[in-house]
Amino acid sequence: MTTPTTTQQKENLSQPDPSQQPITADVIDATAKMQAINVDAWFGQKQILKTVNLTVKPNSVTAIIGPSGCGKSTFLRCFNRMHELVSNSKMAGQILLDGKNIYDRQIDPVQIRRRVGMVFQKPNPFPTMNIYDNVAAGLRLTGTKKDKNLDDIVKHSLEQATLWDEVKDDLKKPGTSISGGQQQRLCIARAIALQPEVILMDEPCSALDPIATAKIEKLVIELKQNYAVIIVTHNMQQASRVSDYTAFMYLGELVEFGETRQIFENPKNKLTEKYITGEFG
Amino acid sequence: MTRLIDVVLEDQSVLLYRMGELTYQTLSLSIRAYIDGLTVQNQVRDMSDRLMIMAEKVEDRTFELIARFQPVASDLRTIKSYMKISYDFARYGRYALDISFINDQLNGLKECNSDMRTFVEKMSAKVLQMVAISIDALHKLDINLARSISQTEQEVDQMYIDHLQKLFDEELTNSKCILSSTLMARYLERIADHAVYVCESILYIVTGEKNKLR
Repeated sequence: MTTPTTTQQKENLSQPDPSQQPITADVIDATAKMQAINVDAWFGQKQILKTVNLTVKPNSVTAIIGPSGCGKSTFLRCFNRMHELVSNSKMAGQILLDGKNIYDRQIDPVQIRRRVGMVFQKPNPFPTMNIYDNVAAGLRLTGTKKDKNLDDIVKHSLEQATLWDEVKDDLKKPGTSISGGQQQRLCIARAIALQPEVILMDEPCSALDPIATAKIEKLVIELKQNYAVIIVTHNMQQASRVSDYTAFMYLGELVEFGETRQIFENPKNKLTEKYITGEFG
Repeated sequence: MTRLIDVVLEDQSVLLYRMGELTYQTLSLSIRAYIDGLTVQNQVRDMSDRLMIMAEKVEDRTFELIARFQPVASDLRTIKSYMKISYDFARYGRYALDISFINDQLNGLKECNSDMRTFVEKMSAKVLQMVAISIDALHKLDINLARSISQTEQEVDQMYIDHLQKLFDEELTNSKCILSSTLMARYLERIADHAVYVCESILYIVTGEKNKLR
């Protein structure tokens, strides 16, 4: 966590330390790429997540849906230890990456954020950098120097983000000079460049038009060939189009989790039914 | 809260219920005419055509609902099932037309003895009962009523098998009677199957489970 205040330190003492909690072997899903086990999260005294459990399979897209304020973005940020960057935040429970608790004291959060990349709601290319440098920035920070290898990674990342053909002649232009949809794909390329294992997406299309949205959705499906993707979305149709699994959250709890087809055709929980059919939200 | 989709779904439901009523009238007319030896082919054709048009309307509205509202969960199951049921109802109409055709072409039961007439009357009554159950269960979305159709369907199937066996066992010589009664029994058995399909769709709408009732 970022330099906690004295008050925070006191609060933290009253909460379980996620790095010290034992993992019970029988709850670990050996087939999972990531697994959330009994995750609680707070902002100050307000509990945002309540004993949330979720399994993320490799090479799959998992959508997290739910009304505003249900905790889905907070939950997403727990998967790469970004929640703890918010002041006054707390977290309990475990998040496993390949069976290892990412909150373990020996684990470097920066390494976790490299292995678990994130794409945000609003495209946020570095405003002072050109397209090339936006993609290369993370690599340079982690020690990759300007050479043929860096060029190859930038090209490959832009190709994977289906942006290469559109920007290959404009790599020196500012990252902010391209359209919103292109900027979002640039941010995806930036995340891919670090060769993560999991990509988190927090409403990546909410600021995009339908054409740009369609491109991102197609990209999400392509990305799962190489990564596990977790996407938070308010758009039910988007969740049903792109995801293999869907989790429905309400008031900080995971109400229902299952294969997307089952959730959208025959949800088991009445709350899920009411939410996805638009009876509340 | 009434949703926009509810208005169109209600229209679809009303249309389907009207189809159900017309279906029952068409089958009743056709079967009664077959038993009594009356010619109603033109009338039944007109009713059957109306059922086909209504089924097409249900299909059009289904696509409209999907395009405009992107339904999910119970809405999606209802819309999908309504389209399937409208097809079953249209099939009822076509079998009614087939029955009126064999009545005209093969003299109905006129060439048959009283046993055969009794058999057809008995089987027809059971099948019409099944059709009525399927329509009523749809109207009420009553899964217990829908499930109750299973027993009668088995009885109808057995009657059909018994009829075929009887034709093998007995040396019947009147080919028109054999053909007419066998086709009639076959159509009735198929109508019963569609009544079961309707009831399976009702179970799917309500429970989300794809259960077989046969």
